[in-house]
Amino acid sequence: MKGCKELINEVVNQNLCCLCGACAGSCPYLVSYKGRIVKLDDCTLKEGQCYQYCPRTLTDMDALSQHVFGEPYRGDALGTSKEVIMARSTNEAIRAKAQYGGTVTTLLSLAMTEGIIDSAILTRTNADKTPNATLARNKQEILDSAGSNYMACSILETYNHLPEDSVDKLAIVGMPCQVIAVTKMRKEKPQHRSSTDNIKLVLGLFCTWALDQNSFHRFLKTSFNLSSITKMDIPPPPANRIDVYTDSSRVSLPLEQVREFTMPTCAYCLDMTSEFADISVGSVEGIEGWNTIIVRTVSGSKLIEMARKQGKLEIDALPAANLAHLKEAALNKKKRALGEIIRRTGDKKKLLYLDLAPSLVNKLLD
Amino acid sequence: MPDIDIDATGKTVMLLGNEAIARGALEAGVGFVASYPGTPSSEILPALAKVAKRRGLYAEWSINEMVAMMNAAAAAMSGIRAMATMKQNGTNVAMDFLATQVRWGVRGGAGLVLVNCDDPGGRNSPNEQDTRSVAKMLDIPMLEPGDFQEAKDMTRWLFDLSEELDTLVMLRAVAKISHTSGNVTLGELSSREHRASFPLDPPRMVAGGSLNAHARLHEKLEKTREKYESSPFNRYVGPDKPELLIIACGASWLHSMEAVRLLGLQDRVGVLKLGTIWPLPEKLVVKHLAKSDKVLFIEEVHPFLEGNVMELASSRGPTGPHPFFYGKRSGHIPAFGELNPDAVIQAVTRIMDIAYQSRPSEYSNKVEAAAKEEVILRIGTLCPGCPHRASYWAIHKALKLDGRDGFATSDNGCMSAGLGPGGFFVAKTHGAMGAGAGMADGFGKLGQFGLSQPVLGSVGDSTFFHAGIPPLINAVWNRSNMILIIYDNSATAMTGFQPHPGTGMTAMGAQGQTITPEDICRSLGIRVEICDPFELDKTTETLLDVMRDEDHGPRVVIMRHECELQRARRETPPYLVYVDAEKCLGESCGCDRLCTRIFRCPGLRWNEKTGKAEIDEVTCCGCGLCVDVCPQGAIVREVAVSEEKELQEEIVGR
Repeated sequence: MKGCKELINEVVNQNLCCLCGACAGSCPYLVSYKGRIVKLDDCTLKEGQCYQYCPRTLTDMDALSQHVFGEPYRGDALGTSKEVIMARSTNEAIRAKAQYGGTVTTLLSLAMTEGIIDSAILTRTNADKTPNATLARNKQEILDSAGSNYMACSILETYNHLPEDSVDKLAIVGMPCQVIAVTKMRKEKPQHRSSTDNIKLVLGLFCTWALDQNSFHRFLKTSFNLSSITKMDIPPPPANRIDVYTDSSRVSLPLEQVREFTMPTCAYCLDMTSEFADISVGSVEGIEGWNTIIVRTVSGSKLIEMARKQGKLEIDALPAANLAHLKEAALNKKKRALGEIIRRTGDKKKLLYLDLAPSLVNKLLD
Repeated sequence: MPDIDIDATGKTVMLLGNEAIARGALEAGVGFVASYPGTPSSEILPALAKVAKRRGLYAEWSINEMVAMMNAAAAAMSGIRAMATMKQNGTNVAMDFLATQVRWGVRGGAGLVLVNCDDPGGRNSPNEQDTRSVAKMLDIPMLEPGDFQEAKDMTRWLFDLSEELDTLVMLRAVAKISHTSGNVTLGELSSREHRASFPLDPPRMVAGGSLNAHARLHEKLEKTREKYESSPFNRYVGPDKPELLIIACGASWLHSMEAVRLLGLQDRVGVLKLGTIWPLPEKLVVKHLAKSDKVLFIEEVHPFLEGNVMELASSRGPTGPHPFFYGKRSGHIPAFGELNPDAVIQAVTRIMDIAYQSRPSEYSNKVEAAAKEEVILRIGTLCPGCPHRASYWAIHKALKLDGRDGFATSDNGCMSAGLGPGGFFVAKTHGAMGAGAGMADGFGKLGQFGLSQPVLGSVGDSTFFHAGIPPLINAVWNRSNMILIIYDNSATAMTGFQPHPGTGMTAMGAQGQTITPEDICRSLGIRVEICDPFELDKTTETLLDVMRDEDHGPRVVIMRHECELQRARRETPPYLVYVDAEKCLGESCGCDRLCTRIFRCPGLRWNEKTGKAEIDEVTCCGCGLCVDVCPQGAIVREVAVSEEKELQEEIVGR
């Protein structure tokens, strides 16, 4: 294990940072600020938790899989799952605010009602359209965070800010990289921070890539007053566009125009569906207003079952064609990312941050 | 020490060099004194200000040295004996005026004395400077005292000389004279009455252009030289034919005498002590040069005597004395830095090929070992509780968060700490008084050439009035993209808490008109923010916002928090601060000794044995800032209850 210096040299300065915030907020040296990880002063420690939990430092996929699921990492398209279904909230107010079917908001509200969690670490969109990690303590605060902004946010810095003696039961909603960081923290428990035993629910989001806040905003500002934007949406393929909604209009831009603002690190990410979450949630290709749900763990299963029984979620089977497309897209992301990694290192045995069995590497490269 | 106006002619008292200068002025009947604080000159003015009312004098802290000099000149031209005192760098500020003032003399008025205090080694200055060259450049008489008695006597005599020759005259004192104490036998206090009037047609005023004036200065110098030839301020101690002749002045004379005594060379080495430095008493010098074929110069900063004496020798022709000259030029004396007897001993033993060991090496080793054990290792930093540390902490953080490689400039006084660990290295440039503002103004105009780094100019509150206002006005006029940080600790702290326009008090203790930096800045129509730097997060936020608020020309942020040492002179500490050792993470992940490794307030101490931080109770002033810096909440502050308050409460309770 290494420390802050190496984290900066190997990750931040190499454009590999995904801004999850796992390194920040638990010491005086690393903080996130406006879409960047900032090192305020030098830390001299040879080993640091900042380096340890970063999803772009050595990540043993198999060990994480064993920790969460008790089974090996197989490199399957969607990771380990119990079932893949589609769902939407039965609450119209939630659906109106939600990006698609409102499943995440509904599950969090339910978990809170049932006492499974006391609070949830979420990403909220500020009035100036910057993403903002927040600790939601009631249902209204959960609802306030509904909707996506396609930008990375240092949610784990908010986790790291929790008092060491906190006993609040937590949910964390994150993108795949953030879920990997959480999983690393759950596996090797942090010192001098709130216990990861308090994390009772991890909801993962589907993610193809995230946008760099600063360059994306500079681009948006050329056409929009940021505060007038009410929603942004990247419909599933083959739409290939980004829709920007304001109070008065919807403007569709070709996806190519924003792709250049993608965070460079996303090119090296193999995980589209947050494979180490309890439940992963995304859109459904061609069916508006619904979410694709991947149920992965026992606690995830229980929560979905509870939502079904209480009528909080309307649940249906995911059409076979959709499942096939989802798997194809997820597998493509894996292949693409692995290819990018090897192109960067020039060596099939050097996979930047990934610790992956050679047999899996070969399987994915086929 | 009693007040310097003690009426005890013939009595010998212990005086600080600077007090001796003040006493000399008092004996000469000085009526008007003006100064700007600057180490090592700062004690002269207060000594006079303290007795000003009962002696009928006027004493002021001026806004800067140029104004002080102008004030003194106006008084002298109106018949009041006047003096301006300043440090070496202050002389630079006054220089433009001085260069022309000398052409006018005192217009037939009263004596006018400029006292320059030099800081060899630059211990308390941004540089090392030798103001003796200034006298040569200005063509004015200059003396340098070699002890405390002379500091007084020379000052007194200079007023007479100035008046007699109708010229500005100068005293140069080095730090070791100004800032050490010694015996002074007092002379009679002057009973001169101070009455000012400005004669429109002065009796000795001679019309004519600047060339005539220059010529007259040379005439005056020749007259001065004549007086110097027999001056009691020059002395020779030693054999008639010394193997080595030392020529020294100022504190270097004392070092030379000590070195000769320690070496037991009184009958082989002679010391010529010069007090009349410019113009050189040529006959006297040539007479002594003939005594020995080896001459060693001992003087601080520049080889001023060395160069001038060598020049003199070379003008004597083949029959004149031509000894071999040793000194800075030959490498026998360090070319820079403050001197001491050891430096003289080294030079003398080298020239005379003598072995000498100042002290047994065993003793040196013992001292070093003891020092390592007993003395706390400290860095050059700001005082405990210094509000500037809080300002720099916020600035450091804001610059990092802003992420555009922004930087600060620094200025003189406490602001120079911005260059080092005490200021977290935020400052990258250093110049003269006001340079923190002026250089930032310059950087702020390089946008058209691609410089996009935010620039935070720095100026202390006293320096703002001294030299910060013109660069700010220039920045406003030319719309420079810069931020001026005014560090307002309500004191001229580095030089000893002198008042300034922002505090409103005058040198003589009267309430003057208070002028605030924000009133001046707002009158320029620019954005002005006032922060209490102890509110660290709020201050950082303000700085970030101000840095982003470009395209409007300069912005000003005033960091206002009283100097903790000044507060501590008045009150008991606000907080009792201690470290909760259970919570302190020390070197663990999550802290890595932030408070004693980065923040480094001298009130905090690292205990290697326990691996925890501690409060150094002797040094801590109880400001409580470190409580907000500790990431772990391990430093605790409790509101300190003073004994007086406790007593009051007890009485009220009854």
